[in-house]
Amino acid sequence: MPNYLCVQRSVPSDEARKPSPDEMQDLYSRFTAWQAKFEGQLVDLGGKLGEGRLVTSSAAPDGPFVEVKELVGGYMIVSAESLDGAIEVARECPGLVSPGSGVEVIEIRTS
Amino acid sequence: MPRAGVTRLGRGSHRDPNVLSPGTPDTLGLVDHFFRHEYGKLVATLSRRVGVHELEAVEDAAQSALAAALERWPLAGQPEQPSAWLFRVAHNALIEDLRRRTQRRRILERTGRDAPEPEADSFLAGELRDDLLRMLFVCCDDALPDASQLALALKTVCGFDVREIAHRLLTSEANVYKRLARARARLREVPDLGDLEGAPLASRLPSVHGILYLLFTEGYLSSHAEVAIRRELCDEALRLGKLLAEHPVGRVPETAALLALMHLQAARLAARRSLAGGLLLLAEQDRTLWDAQQIRLGLEWLARSAEGDVLSRYHVEAGIAAEHCLAPSLAETRWDRVADSYRLLDRVAPSPLNTLNRAVAVAEWKGPAAGLAELEGFEPPA
Repeated sequence: MPNYLCVQRSVPSDEARKPSPDEMQDLYSRFTAWQAKFEGQLVDLGGKLGEGRLVTSSAAPDGPFVEVKELVGGYMIVSAESLDGAIEVARECPGLVSPGSGVEVIEIRTS
Repeated sequence: MPRAGVTRLGRGSHRDPNVLSPGTPDTLGLVDHFFRHEYGKLVATLSRRVGVHELEAVEDAAQSALAAALERWPLAGQPEQPSAWLFRVAHNALIEDLRRRTQRRRILERTGRDAPEPEADSFLAGELRDDLLRMLFVCCDDALPDASQLALALKTVCGFDVREIAHRLLTSEANVYKRLARARARLREVPDLGDLEGAPLASRLPSVHGILYLLFTEGYLSSHAEVAIRRELCDEALRLGKLLAEHPVGRVPETAALLALMHLQAARLAARRSLAGGLLLLAEQDRTLWDAQQIRLGLEWLARSAEGDVLSRYHVEAGIAAEHCLAPSLAETRWDRVADSYRLLDRVAPSPLNTLNRAVAVAEWKGPAAGLAELEGFEPPA
């Protein structure tokens, strides 16, 4: 099965607000349930991404990519039969697809 | 390679028999409302260490620790001592925050820098219970209106957010913000309140009883759609009341009486609701739906409240609730005792409602004419 890179992106939204403690616990419960459900397909749960720089052959630093850390939240790698299968895993991940956050699912080609 | 799954503590459900409302699904070995109650503990402990005038920084630190847990635990596994983990992270975040600001203000000289990071054990032990109660006493500041005290307690001790508080108190978020702002402004200016056993805080015990009673009543008087959500207020009142009764500062007959009253009222919660969601009158309630465990707990606390020489309104009200809970039917209720109790209650805590309630009890006891006679000369409050 091919692997897919899932990149969390922030999406402009007015609805983003801090979850309350009860909501966080609920999110945590649902996340672990999701983890158990897709256990075999979660290749790497990845993590949050911090600050970054774009390195090019040009000497100019960064350019328009300075905002990258505010746009890209985190990544993970899942395996699936197809892009649609990978999308399903990502879509069901609690909190990943929500107001203020979306996910880009990209196939990692190995051949 | 797939990462190892989250550590499951496998302790099974830790549902408290005292809790009336179901919480989040317990799949992680965490008790219901673990995050929310941890938030309260973190706020209580940290604000004792750095002072309640730093409440906002403390609340931010507690919130960020929970957010860190949400982020870290699914990846690295749940720590063996989740409470201690949260405390360490919140403590570090708070000290970092205070240190950043200490260029201008010298708070750390007095608090954070010299104080060694506490051992996890001490955080888990009795000190924490003290801190939580201390925070509750801090909230019960007579300079604040009851509504602000209640909102502050729900926010800091119980761990509800503004939206949740508004939802439970049936008010607007803007109103809750206003109440909290008023409370925080007050806390910024009060001097250090000292320990729980110290005079300034210990003298607030009657206000603490009052706020717990108010908290319970807010949950108890709910109807239709909000029932499940507002019942959490009853749970919180019972949880904090129990904590209070077990602590030297609150181990007085009034606290036991208040717990008795709350348990006995809680016993009838489910039966008070009709299938359509409305509230049912006493006569319409199916007494087999009354919660026997709650009645048992209520009677136990009532027995423990029967000492000392102070008869509080909670004693009398619990006595009346017990009469209702123990009556096999509406007709077999000992109305004479109920009527007498309302007369007694009016001496302890005068209110025109007592006269009305007594008149109802007398009407059941001796007939409507006698009931009406009780109201002779009664002036309804303007």
